[in-house]
Amino acid sequence: MAGETNHPVGKSVPRVDALEKVTGAAQYVDDMAFGPGLLYGKLVHSPIAHGLIRAIDMSAALALPGVKAVVTGQDAPRRLGLYLKDRFIFAHDRVRYVGESVAGVVATSEEIAERAAALVHVEYEPLEPVFDPYLAAQSGAPLVHPDLGSYEVVNFIFPEPGTNISEHFRLRKGDTEAAWPRCATVVESTYTLPQIQHAPIETHIAVARWDPSDEITLWAASQSPFAQRDLLAQSLGVPHGKIRVISPYVGGGFGGKAGISIEANVALMAGAVKGRPVKVRMTREEEFIATNVRQSLVAKIKIGCDADGQLLAMEVTYYFGGGAYNDYGVNIARAAGYSCTGPYDVPNVKGDSLCVYTNHPIGSAMRGFGMPEIHWGIEQVMDLLAERIGMDPAEFRRRNCVRTDDTILTGMTMPRIDLVACIDKVTRAIGWGSQPAPSAPNKRRGKGIAIMWKAPAMPPNPGSSAIVRFNEDATLNVYVGGQEIGQGAFTVVAQMAAEALGIPYEWVRVSANPVDTKYSPYEWQTVASRLTWSMGNAVKAAAEDARAKILDIVARYWDEDPTDLDIKEGVVVSYRSEREQPLQKMVVYGLPNENFEGWQGGPIVGSGKFMPTYVTGLDPDTGQGTRAVVHYTVGAQAVDLEVDTETGAIEILTIASAYDVGKAINPDLVMTQIEGGAVHGMSSAFEGLRFDQSGRPINGSFVDYKIATAKDAPRAIHGDIVETPLEDGPWGARGVGEHVMVQTAPAIANALYAATGRRFTDLPLSSEKVYLAMHPEGPELSCELPDKDPPGA
Amino acid sequence: MLHEISLTVNGDHHAIVVRSHHTLLQVLREQLGITSPKRGCENGECGACTVLLDGLPVNSCLVLAPEADGAIIETTEGLSAGGELHPLQEAFIQHNAVQCGFCTPGMLMSSKALLDRNPHPTEDEIREALVGNLCRCTGYVRIIEAIQDVAGRGEEG
Amino acid sequence: MHPYDYCKPTSLGEAFQHLTSPGKVVAVVAGATDLIPRVRDGVFHPDLVVDVKGLPRLRDLTVQAGTGSLFVGAAIRMNELARSELVRSHWSVLADAAASMGNEQVRNRATIGGNICTASPAADTAPALYVLEGLVQIAGPGGERQLPVADFITGPRKTALRLGEIVIGLVLPRPPDGTVGAFEKLSRRQAGDLSIVSVAALAIPEAARPSWRLALGAVSPTPLRAAESEAILAGDLSDEAIDRAAAAAYGCCCPISDIRAGQEYRQAMVINLTRRVVRAIISRMPADPPCC
Repeated sequence: MAGETNHPVGKSVPRVDALEKVTGAAQYVDDMAFGPGLLYGKLVHSPIAHGLIRAIDMSAALALPGVKAVVTGQDAPRRLGLYLKDRFIFAHDRVRYVGESVAGVVATSEEIAERAAALVHVEYEPLEPVFDPYLAAQSGAPLVHPDLGSYEVVNFIFPEPGTNISEHFRLRKGDTEAAWPRCATVVESTYTLPQIQHAPIETHIAVARWDPSDEITLWAASQSPFAQRDLLAQSLGVPHGKIRVISPYVGGGFGGKAGISIEANVALMAGAVKGRPVKVRMTREEEFIATNVRQSLVAKIKIGCDADGQLLAMEVTYYFGGGAYNDYGVNIARAAGYSCTGPYDVPNVKGDSLCVYTNHPIGSAMRGFGMPEIHWGIEQVMDLLAERIGMDPAEFRRRNCVRTDDTILTGMTMPRIDLVACIDKVTRAIGWGSQPAPSAPNKRRGKGIAIMWKAPAMPPNPGSSAIVRFNEDATLNVYVGGQEIGQGAFTVVAQMAAEALGIPYEWVRVSANPVDTKYSPYEWQTVASRLTWSMGNAVKAAAEDARAKILDIVARYWDEDPTDLDIKEGVVVSYRSEREQPLQKMVVYGLPNENFEGWQGGPIVGSGKFMPTYVTGLDPDTGQGTRAVVHYTVGAQAVDLEVDTETGAIEILTIASAYDVGKAINPDLVMTQIEGGAVHGMSSAFEGLRFDQSGRPINGSFVDYKIATAKDAPRAIHGDIVETPLEDGPWGARGVGEHVMVQTAPAIANALYAATGRRFTDLPLSSEKVYLAMHPEGPELSCELPDKDPPGA
Repeated sequence: MLHEISLTVNGDHHAIVVRSHHTLLQVLREQLGITSPKRGCENGECGACTVLLDGLPVNSCLVLAPEADGAIIETTEGLSAGGELHPLQEAFIQHNAVQCGFCTPGMLMSSKALLDRNPHPTEDEIREALVGNLCRCTGYVRIIEAIQDVAGRGEEG
Repeated sequence: MHPYDYCKPTSLGEAFQHLTSPGKVVAVVAGATDLIPRVRDGVFHPDLVVDVKGLPRLRDLTVQAGTGSLFVGAAIRMNELARSELVRSHWSVLADAAASMGNEQVRNRATIGGNICTASPAADTAPALYVLEGLVQIAGPGGERQLPVADFITGPRKTALRLGEIVIGLVLPRPPDGTVGAFEKLSRRQAGDLSIVSVAALAIPEAARPSWRLALGAVSPTPLRAAESEAILAGDLSDEAIDRAAAAAYGCCCPISDIRAGQEYRQAMVINLTRRVVRAIISRMPADPPCC
């Protein structure tokens, strides 16, 4: 029929959520109405980076008219954490970073709550802080978690009690010591990057209501309603069945709204005013430091290849600045560990990936989950090696990149991917090998390339489930627990359900706004670029379940074999008898027997689940195991840029990307991820949270933490999709949401080197850094500079 | 201090009482139930709160409530007159210029104001006009394409 | 945010009364784009804000009969300056400076009066006003007075305003026909950012050779004129002279290291931006100038 799209998988159908969002009808948590009884909460933040809490005086705050309660860490002494239980809801006996929540004030208005928060007086006894992850990992450094040894931890994370090391992943393959002498050239270098923040346009926000019956309802902008319910249950000591987490559309997540940040705080605050909803919204300034950030990294890399450019050995030590609490960050260090070589076939590897406590904001999941951090250095050392042996950087990567069936660093067999095809696509798109002239005499131009890989970093058993049910008009409601955070999850779900059932795309309604742990089927988290693959499999299974039930009923009705039947365009057809049965009505009411002597069938409900069953453990000393991860997505990016030699300003002209997504369920949505990722990746190269000597943030707002604007974005972003099917992906699909920004920063660094001959090992980049690197003696002048007064005059 | 003000929002006239130090953003969201302008930074940097005030795009977080007395305000809710989508809304959908959607209402208002002022902007002019509307999802590519599409068709807001 | 009161006087007398209310912290508000962030940051707690947009003359943008000077009311907005054909006719360096400020939304509210009264060392319109040798028209309970803009800004975030006084507007003398101006602003991002270094300049036709005015922003406690650079350029426009003028600009200012940029970079950029601005002007000067 007109306006109906059949077989939508592989087609660029319009998004299911776009209309709501362009009309302003889409509701986010801040838009939800809770009535005049709504109370407002404000968190009290630690002003120091490390210290013992000696006393909390809340009397002045409680005396302020309109203040209903003040809650502190004494009210919830149970630890919580995703992989490592190293956190309390509010600081318990000490604070470990500037911004840590020490108390929560509940009042009748945001203004009163804000004023009351300033009246909570906390007495601290400062402790010596430590900020650099490398230094924090050395013996003798101040201990951020002296009780690390007593924390509950999952069996695949290995903290080192008595140190600041919350996770130490060891990868040992082959014999690097024996390999170094065989290398024609060896490069050794250190790369660093600071913490950066997700900066979603919607800040963290949650509303909680704790009923007198001890049922807790939490409305949160959340990528992880089920994980949050789990963490709340653990930390509040309330059974899962009494906790309900509801999440409507999320205004950008990028990993920051995964795991847990303020949600338990708000629940606890609601517990102090039972029956009344309490809303806490992080201001932009709080968002920058008191929610989640990406970890910082000091990466020491040593790598060597033979005269033919074959990689022989690689030794890496990654010191991740995990911040004050590493409950999620430990898995980032682990993921970086088992992927520590980057997408390369290296026969001898010694990798140590450490998550290190520092007195900085909480390092948690951010788009790429350790991959952007480690590729910053890896993709530059590859260029260094290529230069040393006189090989083109793209050719070097073609020679050494992972291929299908390679035995990769963990001993796993590389699933089917085509990284060479990605390299070919971007080199073609960027005009690799040609050196176009710069646009002006004061400009320098250069191109750079970088490749990447990433596996979903998850526990071995992350589950997805889905339910489908029909309405009388044969439209289909699909229930999932995965979130729409902008990536298009709801749209591809509708496409997959329609495809698997044999109904038009337009008949599908995704009933997941909001995701509600009371009604939505379980989904581990909306992270790891896993929904298209994992939730997609569950949706496909649920749709196929419904399809099988329908065919069974109609086959019996027609006295035919179900294998001769199909559903096409919403109609059951028999290939044998050519009979047809529209789905309308029968999917709810069933089918009447002859002369209405009884009925058959009934309401059709399908269910499905998916959980990978094949991920194995890894040897704690060597990181070796049969199957470290479910799969990898690979990709390449090339950058063409110009540098203004007079100011150091960098203008990115073109970014060309290619990713092997297995199967593009919605090709245009893959392209929009490529475009958004290119700009996010580019922006991340120029971003960095900055702190003073005491660990206080100095650029925690958009005034001085700048993200890319429409004017900063490159003029041309080119994307190519490679499709090498994933063995257990729905129609072969694997995820791409994070991968698209993993290697942009080193691609830029490599292009900068081509343009200027200068290598930059420490993020963030800036015009200032580039200018000073190019002009260590200052501007070229035909005259002398006058003497200046001493600085500060 | 309380002030009585009257303002027109999306064609509807309102006579309300506001507090001196509240912002137009608060008035719209909390008093009038108009939630498309968002709280993003409340500092004039992100543009998620952009509305048209007497036809000009402004950060409603930086307009004091009493300053809105006598103002004609337009927000995304008012873009689809008579139930038909504004050409920009259609174009945003067609070009996939929407991802998480949080910046979208502000983007639409800035885009409309641009085309009202400059019906055939160059790409540079479009980018310049959107500097005050931050987007973390899209990379701005499709937003610019959508505006160019509408401009090219000669349809204006 | 602490609550504060709001009033919108319709006469100067009313305004002066509010501004001199005893025991109250009173602030003028025009665009609110500085006020609201400062109150949110907790650095400023007014008891009362006085909206001056209803006062006579503050919204004027007119040419004064006789002198041909441009009167820019204090409550004229940045985008109104940037997009005004009148302003661009003879005072385009101000239009360029106004266009560089903030973003579209902020420019539709921020006013020139607010910009100079906030008196940030990095104020975007200041270098342009300095080279245009603008006069600040001030009104207060004691009467009206005029001050050259360079005397109006007295220090970082400090002006010569006395208690009860407000800025009515700016009087910008009309530069002679054939005056060429240029403005450059360097910031961390391509737009929407505060200035790291900014330079404004004018080349004014004289009998023999053009005279020059050059002002620097964000590199001293207040914006300043680079008098030595001006003298060099008035005598010689060779590459070597331009270098000397840039070196003199470097010599006359004292950039600091702050969150936006380091001192070394700022010093280098004073030199390079000065050269850029001068070259931009030279490239647009009429064909037969006495330029050697």
